[in-house]
Amino acid sequence: MATNEVETNFFKRASKWKFIIIILLFALFLTLLLSLNVGYARIPFAEILSIIGKQFPFLDKIIDPSIISQTSPGIILQVRMPRIVAGALVGAALAASGVVYQGVFKNPMADSYLLGVSAGAAVGASISILFASGMPIFGFRLVQVAAFFGALIAMLLVYSISRVGSRVPITTLLLCGIAVNFFLYAIVALIEVLAGDELTNIVFWLIGGFSNVLWFDIFSVMPIILVGITLSYFYARDLNLLALGEENAQHLGVNVERVKKVLLILASLVTASAVSICGLIGFVGLMVPHITRLVIGPDHRILFPASAIVGAIFLVICDSVARVIATPFASTLELPVGIITMLTGAPFFILLFKKKKESYAL
Amino acid sequence: MVLLNVDGIECSYGSRKVIDDVTLSVKPGDFVGILGPNGSGKTTLLKSISRLLKPHKGTILLDKENIYSLESIQVAKKLAVVPQDTSIGFSFNSLDIVLMGRNPHVSRFQMENKNDLAITKRVMLLTNTWQFANRPINELSGGEKQRVIIARALAQEPKLLLLDEPLTHLDIINQLEIMDLVKKLSVDEKIIILAVFHDLNLAARYCNSAVLLKNGKIFSAGTLSEVLTSKNIKKVFNVDAIVQKHLVTNSIFVIPLSPQKTPQYKKCSLHLISGAGTGTRLMKFLADEGYRLTAGVLNVLDTDYETTRILDIPVVAEAPFSPIMEKTRKKNLEMMIKASAVVIASVPFGYGNLQNLKTARKALDKQIPVYIIEEIPIERRDFTNGKAKELLIEMKRNGAIFVRDQHELLTLLHISDKKLKISQENGKRMFTHLEPKRYDEKNESGRIGKKNEP
Repeated sequence: MATNEVETNFFKRASKWKFIIIILLFALFLTLLLSLNVGYARIPFAEILSIIGKQFPFLDKIIDPSIISQTSPGIILQVRMPRIVAGALVGAALAASGVVYQGVFKNPMADSYLLGVSAGAAVGASISILFASGMPIFGFRLVQVAAFFGALIAMLLVYSISRVGSRVPITTLLLCGIAVNFFLYAIVALIEVLAGDELTNIVFWLIGGFSNVLWFDIFSVMPIILVGITLSYFYARDLNLLALGEENAQHLGVNVERVKKVLLILASLVTASAVSICGLIGFVGLMVPHITRLVIGPDHRILFPASAIVGAIFLVICDSVARVIATPFASTLELPVGIITMLTGAPFFILLFKKKKESYAL
Repeated sequence: MVLLNVDGIECSYGSRKVIDDVTLSVKPGDFVGILGPNGSGKTTLLKSISRLLKPHKGTILLDKENIYSLESIQVAKKLAVVPQDTSIGFSFNSLDIVLMGRNPHVSRFQMENKNDLAITKRVMLLTNTWQFANRPINELSGGEKQRVIIARALAQEPKLLLLDEPLTHLDIINQLEIMDLVKKLSVDEKIIILAVFHDLNLAARYCNSAVLLKNGKIFSAGTLSEVLTSKNIKKVFNVDAIVQKHLVTNSIFVIPLSPQKTPQYKKCSLHLISGAGTGTRLMKFLADEGYRLTAGVLNVLDTDYETTRILDIPVVAEAPFSPIMEKTRKKNLEMMIKASAVVIASVPFGYGNLQNLKTARKALDKQIPVYIIEEIPIERRDFTNGKAKELLIEMKRNGAIFVRDQHELLTLLHISDKKLKISQENGKRMFTHLEPKRYDEKNESGRIGKKNEP
């Protein structure tokens, strides 16, 4: 009896996974659409769909332009759309790299900021805000460039300090990450003390948000994020094997040191890209993988893509909330999205965890 | 035919050499036990064969290929490892874990297929784990979990299986089941098996050859009866052990005695009359206390005789199943007279060994103190129609000392030993002992053998 059940489950697995992904993608699409509707100016769905339809070469012929008002295309395409797309992209990036970090480190407390990425980005960003906030470099904003390279330099620093010969032991990596993080945050604190008028800007950047994101920013990091996530996905089975411990993974044919190196570099690049356009958004990289794992199980071949989509959905919703929650009190005030992610995500996680902690062994 | 050839390897942790010039050659169907005390390099040897610790000298060839020049995935197709203990990061179920064993056979861009499931099912049925295929691995008991890990190793379809103390956390029935399974794999599927064992008896029961390591070097290698001798065990583990063939399992079994202390050697030597195993415990006990011992007359093949061989005690021996001849009796008396005292164990007396008692009486007449241990009353072990009892009574009258057990004996011997030292220092050659303390003197024995009081 159990025999047949096990076998049918096995054969159903691939289609079940596809089904999960399709459902999640559909949910993501709905979320994007709904959040385009959210905001100070009221724009009905029909108009939103028409505006989007207009962007495609063949659809624009059949759409009646009369329902589109004069100001709406600008609001939808240049104000709401960029930040929603950025939200989805960053959410996916942080959640996906969170899965990778937790898998490689076999540690539930690992998140996408573990290897000094966040602290490095924070140092880069706050220095550039302090000294030359508006200056562009080849069309990129300086803050963005500084944050990206700050993140990468910090990551390489942690990585090279913890290397022992050709190996990178996980515990040394963790400890070095923590040490470098502390050191760099001390520098950030120092800059904050010296900042004066720019302090608000630095604090806002550190909490993270999408209010200033432009299409240009998105297109400059999108390739890195999408390629990084796709390449990491090919290592999903290796992540499963790493859960058995490095020696076991080695015995089962995983080239542990190489896989670790590739995955950590990819995940750090993806995180650095995300952080560079929106600042430090907490919680997504740590909790979204956990929440997804609680629901669909530990197999990284489904956990990884599912977490990425859940991360995107989660961050887009949080950003929509951030945009409108303060409107009743002051129409121009907007909360940083980082506050919302933590305020909503943490209780939700605790609730889910209480329900399932029996079977959730780490 | 897949062969494993380990040729002159050397491994170090830092500057400390852990494996020193180890050479091994193993062929299909071999079940090799790797034995040795802690720190002798057993696990390190396994690690270097499983490609975790590259030796800085020597080569390891599997199927004529150097495992360190192959990709890990190539090695994983031929070699599987069952570690001592596996902690699993997330709650995968058993089927997932065993399917992971198919990893070396599945390409990066594919999923496991029907064939992989068939192999997984086969090994899970073989290891008796299929019935909990859907249960999370972290909810299984230690034995079940270890069987799943073995199934995972088998799913790799290896030619060589390495086991690193696979039974450490398992109870006895799980140990036997798993070893039976591994043995079956070695016999039926001709998988080469290399296993590190702490339990010499399990190794002896299942392996067909063994490698005994000491300080990173091979101390002895070959068949079990060549490797597992009490001499080797003594030299490598520093433990006295009885090695015998078990009557039921027909495999060698080892009974380790307690580790040899470095005893304070006593001045006096003792001659022991025993037999049928009554002296075995006593010999070990007295030898550990530092007494020099002799024994006799014992028949060859008698348990006590075997013990004298293990403990290297001089013995007057008689042919198996023979009464004591005149010649041996004389030799025995000579030996008794050389001793500082004679100890008679609680041995049953029949016409075959009554002679020993008569010899002891002669020794007593020659002023050699005689201690008689009466753990079992003489009436119950006298098979000579009262002749033995008579002799004992006579000896008691002549000053032989009756003690209740070996501890009481020891207490008295200690005092005598001190007296002996003093008398020797004073230039006297005579051996004296305290006034006989008979155990029927209730007031005295209470002090001496308190812990043995009922």
